[in-house]
Amino acid sequence: MITLSMLLVSAQQAMGQGGGITFAAGLESSQMDDMKYLQEHILSTYPAEGEITSSFPPYTSFSINLFKVLYDHIHVGAGYSYSTTGGKSSYADYSGHIITDITASSHRLGAYISYLVMGGDRLNLALNGRLDAILTNVSVESFYSIYNYSDGIENEYRSISPAGSVGAELMYNFKSFSMGTDAGYLVDLQGNLKDSGNGNPLVDPNDTDRVLRSDWTGWYVHLKALIWLNF
Amino acid sequence: MLWALKSSIFATFTSLMRKFIPIFFAALLLAGLPACLFTDSEVYYVEPVPDDPPERSVITNLDTLNNPQVNDSLEVIYQVEVSGGEFYFVYADVASSTIFESDSIYGSFWITPDMADSLGVDTLYMEFYYSTNSNSMADMIGYEALLDSLKIAIDFNQQGAK
Repeated sequence: MITLSMLLVSAQQAMGQGGGITFAAGLESSQMDDMKYLQEHILSTYPAEGEITSSFPPYTSFSINLFKVLYDHIHVGAGYSYSTTGGKSSYADYSGHIITDITASSHRLGAYISYLVMGGDRLNLALNGRLDAILTNVSVESFYSIYNYSDGIENEYRSISPAGSVGAELMYNFKSFSMGTDAGYLVDLQGNLKDSGNGNPLVDPNDTDRVLRSDWTGWYVHLKALIWLNF
Repeated sequence: MLWALKSSIFATFTSLMRKFIPIFFAALLLAGLPACLFTDSEVYYVEPVPDDPPERSVITNLDTLNNPQVNDSLEVIYQVEVSGGEFYFVYADVASSTIFESDSIYGSFWITPDMADSLGVDTLYMEFYYSTNSNSMADMIGYEALLDSLKIAIDFNQQGAK
């Protein structure tokens, strides 16, 4: 918020110039079916009956984009997006605990185009489409402690996949900036997860011919700020 | 003159600031993103409901003897009976040294005069470990045990003690 506030204060260009920069933050859902499957498999190996306390819920997402006004109604741009989610399963009693954390984060670089459907002095409604390359990092960490003995293991996996998204944004124009919201749906073509260290694929524990995949397919909702820049 | 120079530098600096502040803060924002990883602090805590502890008994061939003597050697025979649970291990110690260990419910071992610290009466300690049936995680992986101890006075009255 402080960063955004300073950015807003620092931007003194008027609207309608050559381009701008947008910042967005919000929530993003994901499918992550294979990760949920892996989470359930790991839970089934617990010596006691544990429970999944979170399973890849909609979680934090940020994005930053630079755009250029190509025509009156069309903006083109490129940007970076980050989102994260994860899952946790655990069991604890007086004798000790066992916990498994799976954390997934995505770094997306892509290009987008937006089309202004309705534009007024104050409110703008635009549709947009975007193509991205997604770099996914998945960390699987299990550790346990029983009385005075403890141990654990952590593995890191990575995947790269293409993705596309469509959405809409509704912006309210102030004197030197705009604020609003955007929402849409992203389709991830899924990438095979490989060990970050040795490159070995993360295979299905019950079918070693199948490689588990990351899947960020899902909806997103952001609050968005737009600052006009003169370039 | 100096004032004009200062004003010029300030104006240039302000202009540069205007240009680069968005980039600077965008970089700062991006650098901080990896710290925004998913977290979940909830842990599923269970109060295990214990089952009845196992019924157990131990008999040895020394039960009816009073301060059995170790002459050349003394054989100790034990038998464990356990129901409704699991027998894990037995340890036998004399003079702070483990002289026997086994996971068998029936067995025997020998006590010799050199196992004692000195001549006279010493104590044979036998420790029997069983499952607790507490249904805790430690119980389920055999890392928690019920302990029954047996103390038997042994008379090391012969030469050969340490």
